[in-house]
Amino acid sequence: MKLFDPHIHMTSRTTLDYEAMAGAGIVAVVEPSFWMGQPRSHVGSFEDYFASLLGWERFRASQFGIRHFCTLSLNPKEANSARIAQGVIDLLPRYLSKDGVVAVGEIGYDDMTLEEDKYFAAQLELAIRFDLPALIHTPHRDKKRGTERSLALVREVGFPEGRALIDHNTEETLPLVLESGCWAGHSIYPFTKMDEPRMVALVKRYGAERILINSAADWGVSDPLKVPKTAALMRESGISEADIERIVWQNPVAFFSQSGRLDLGPLGDSPAIDQTRLWEGNSVLRGQQPIVKR
Amino acid sequence: MTLTSSELEQLLRELVERRIEPPSREWLERTLAALGAAPDRGALLEAFTAATRRLGRARLAPTEAEMARLDGAGVSWPIGSWGADELGRVALLVAAAAHWPEAELPALVEECYRQGDGAERQAVLRALPLLPGPERFLETAVDACRSHIQPLFEAIACENPYPARYFPELNFNQMVLKALFTGVALERVIGCDGRVTPELSRMAAGYASERRAAGRSVPPDIGRLTGERGDQP
Repeated sequence: MKLFDPHIHMTSRTTLDYEAMAGAGIVAVVEPSFWMGQPRSHVGSFEDYFASLLGWERFRASQFGIRHFCTLSLNPKEANSARIAQGVIDLLPRYLSKDGVVAVGEIGYDDMTLEEDKYFAAQLELAIRFDLPALIHTPHRDKKRGTERSLALVREVGFPEGRALIDHNTEETLPLVLESGCWAGHSIYPFTKMDEPRMVALVKRYGAERILINSAADWGVSDPLKVPKTAALMRESGISEADIERIVWQNPVAFFSQSGRLDLGPLGDSPAIDQTRLWEGNSVLRGQQPIVKR
Repeated sequence: MTLTSSELEQLLRELVERRIEPPSREWLERTLAALGAAPDRGALLEAFTAATRRLGRARLAPTEAEMARLDGAGVSWPIGSWGADELGRVALLVAAAAHWPEAELPALVEECYRQGDGAERQAVLRALPLLPGPERFLETAVDACRSHIQPLFEAIACENPYPARYFPELNFNQMVLKALFTGVALERVIGCDGRVTPELSRMAAGYASERRAAGRSVPPDIGRLTGERGDQP
């Protein structure tokens, strides 16, 4: 079964992770732009960051047989920085129409401030303008209220619910999201957010429609193999193959295909690997024999 | 009672000087004297950064007599965990505040913070309640609450009177929720009990409910915010 990790920050991961992911059946990933663990203080830092998501990281993924797509945005935390927020919003139109950008995201709430409200709404408008779906992060603190407010804002802006993916759901937020018509993402984490057995319980209760899972792996304690691991536990727990495939492949493909820019190649197979290729003169290899698989 | 900046500078300097060797003492005296004679931005930033190398990291651990003097000077919160470098940096900022044109101080403090490493940023946060016009530094203090670097978060959230005194309700509530989320004991949040509002109680109860729905434990001290019983540690 082909697997899709629809939320993973590969910039923070190693080539060993790419190898392990490809080995476990992951053939496509979406990397949302987000923050770097500490605040950036110049708009130019975002220019370079967006360029690396569209350039070097996509190349790096291809060297391990994984198709890399991204979503771009001003993230919720940095929406609070007066030094950069408006500058990043002004920069985004240069990038949102590029190939392989499959949504605006991750946007949403962190502290639920007025600035976050303003830039969340502004970026939903940008998504409408660039005909993109939206990937919406929900906050760690006051999560239920944050989810309710996100759903309310989506309605207020008139953003089509079927083009909004609300992420990082829990037992308390999933029913709200499903009721709204938005798609529901779940980040399977070693300690916080959601774990595999709880995810299995949610699928048994709510089914597979509009439900996605991701690893949200980043620079913190996280696991880029959470999608295959959760799929394995679903299988062991008696969830049907059809439902599993829907969650780990058909749903993310259907959601991000709404961008018109999710090019998975013929039949969504793994892309050919050619490690003899270079990116701006750079290779991912360090003296190894290049692998070439057609 | 609060002391003037130069009296506070004197007190902090005495505290640090008792804990360092003569060459470090001479460096600190020379640096502070030069700052007093002619405020120089480059010299201050350089000294601020060099403080760990110059003064070392020995823990302050004040005596009872010293604590009484600090308390008399308005420093009623615990500073025993500060290192000599941290105390020296705070003394440098307090000295700068005494000698710098008032309107230029925020930019200087912000520069120390933004270009600082972890220890420098922590020292800035520790100094905020001791600087004149502390409300001017709100943005830096709130920004530190968004950090995932736990010691940095704790430098503003714990053993620091700044948030309870100057944070708007939204930012204070978010900081307390983050303290719960990251396992910080609420007794370390100075002035927390006095800032409990119905909204903070609601948020804390929501967090307890989310934890229980996920089959996880609830922080034992959550009752300070909600009146309910948390789980025993």
